[in-house]
Amino acid sequence: MSSRKIRCTISFAILILLTVFVLCMNIFIGSADIQFSDVMKIIFSDSANDTAANILLKIRIPRALAAMILGGSLALSGYLLQTFFHNPIAGPFVLGVSSGAKLTVALVMIFAASRFLTINSAVMIIAAFVGSLLSLGFVLAVSHKVQRMSMLVVCGVMISYICSAITDFVVTFAEDSDIVNLHNWSMGTFSGTTMDNVKVMAVVVFISFIGTFLLSKPIGAYRLGENYAQNLGVKIKPLRVALILLSGLFSACVTAFAGPVSFVGIAVPHIIRAMFKTSKPIVLIPACFLGGSVFCMVCDMIARTAFAPTELSISTVTAIFGAPVVIIVMLHGKKGEI
Amino acid sequence: MENAVTAENLTVGYKKPLISDICFNVQGGKIMTLIGPNGSGKSTILKTLSGYLKKLGGSVFFDGVNAERVSENDKAKMLSVLLTERINPELMTCRDIVETGRYPYTGHFGKLSKTDKEAVQSAIDLVEIEAFADCDFSAISDGQRQRVMLARAICQEPKILILDEPTSYLDIHHKIMFLETVRKLADEKGIAIIMSMHELDFAEKISDYTICVKNGEITHNGKPDDIFKDNIICELFDIPEELYSKYLIR
Repeated sequence: MSSRKIRCTISFAILILLTVFVLCMNIFIGSADIQFSDVMKIIFSDSANDTAANILLKIRIPRALAAMILGGSLALSGYLLQTFFHNPIAGPFVLGVSSGAKLTVALVMIFAASRFLTINSAVMIIAAFVGSLLSLGFVLAVSHKVQRMSMLVVCGVMISYICSAITDFVVTFAEDSDIVNLHNWSMGTFSGTTMDNVKVMAVVVFISFIGTFLLSKPIGAYRLGENYAQNLGVKIKPLRVALILLSGLFSACVTAFAGPVSFVGIAVPHIIRAMFKTSKPIVLIPACFLGGSVFCMVCDMIARTAFAPTELSISTVTAIFGAPVVIIVMLHGKKGEI
Repeated sequence: MENAVTAENLTVGYKKPLISDICFNVQGGKIMTLIGPNGSGKSTILKTLSGYLKKLGGSVFFDGVNAERVSENDKAKMLSVLLTERINPELMTCRDIVETGRYPYTGHFGKLSKTDKEAVQSAIDLVEIEAFADCDFSAISDGQRQRVMLARAICQEPKILILDEPTSYLDIHHKIMFLETVRKLADEKGIAIIMSMHELDFAEKISDYTICVKNGEITHNGKPDDIFKDNIICELFDIPEELYSKYLIR
């Protein structure tokens, strides 16, 4: 086996172990003190409907699973955007994709609240997807005009601010008992996720993941740039559309359930590349997913336990760990690239 | 030898016609060069042949088959390119880059078979890049990169190779080494090669056939002996005669 293969195998083993370990930590640790033996009892036997069981089954487990699934999709969304734009500092948050989704979801929630309608997860995802694509549409339009990659990111940040401003505006004036949660959600949090939410996001993310994985061969050729990829027989236009739709879907799913979460999408693919020392998509796609899961679960655990009972918003924590990674990437970036 | 590339009354250009009625045949094992001033349309011709630009009229035949009837994947097995653009891939070794040339031959997940690996190795051996094959692509020199890109193009096992100013930013050593490999590809593998060049001295010696492009027009075409003449070159590049004899003594 070549040293590269050994490195990949070991890295995958580490990531899988970490995922399992952090998932368990997330389930065992919390402000309510539940003994290890009790946790086992609750999970493996259908025990009585006591408080501990409720906390575990209705709060901690769905929340941990949500952080795992959505963390993975954020990382993949970022990976796909970085591939698409050939830009190492692209990600759903900095390009304004998350904020676009936040805006449309907020509008739909307020509209529904004013008509006393309840909205289900599917509608939320669709609303977020539309918002993501709108933002991406703007960024794409700009990307044809600007040559420098940094300008693209600046533009994304501006779109992000505009969308956030409109969202804040709408939320402020729609202050209503029904949308109290909206404020928390618009800051980004995994709390309040139900098991039904988890089922929906698992299905959507699983399908998108398969779709992305099936594209690993053309994405591999796309690393050489569009022209060489085209010469190799890659159908460029359908590939570009697929990259945009999939990254939009991943980030829409996150925003619909957890609000905008910063820096996971941009930072995790870099950590994973540095860890695996390869850019082969067939390795990076599953690895980014696992990496995003671990990253988000760790951040969520810190968010809810560090200053318990006060809970931090998830973006506060992800930014602390994610932003330095981005700075390092920019400092190490090749000249003229950024 | 069959005609590997044939152009019949080909019209090329970006949306509006730039050069019309281009006709040529390039047989397998032969090298055709395009010479002419910057912006004359050499790249436009090459881009049209390789399918990046839609042709505006006429026909192109690869191995006697109309290019319009060749599927993307079959075309990839028939024609490969070396472009002027510099690529900037991340964390890819030279071998990784060469391996991408096997894309049209691999299955859905791009796993390389034994045959594919052999093709990669023989391409690496042919252009003599084994010494740095496992180095990161960003860590090698321009001259070495160009050889890697040539190996990548060869590993696609094409019948036609299109090279757009492949030697422009190489030093004299690398220019000669590169062109020697190109000649070898034509002679030993029977590949038809179409290439644009600025180095007239090299073009004269490597070409089997030359086309002169100027201001959207093919001014001359023929065997190098008939093309590389003082008056034709002076006229093609607008060089005053006294300066020509001062700087370009041939």
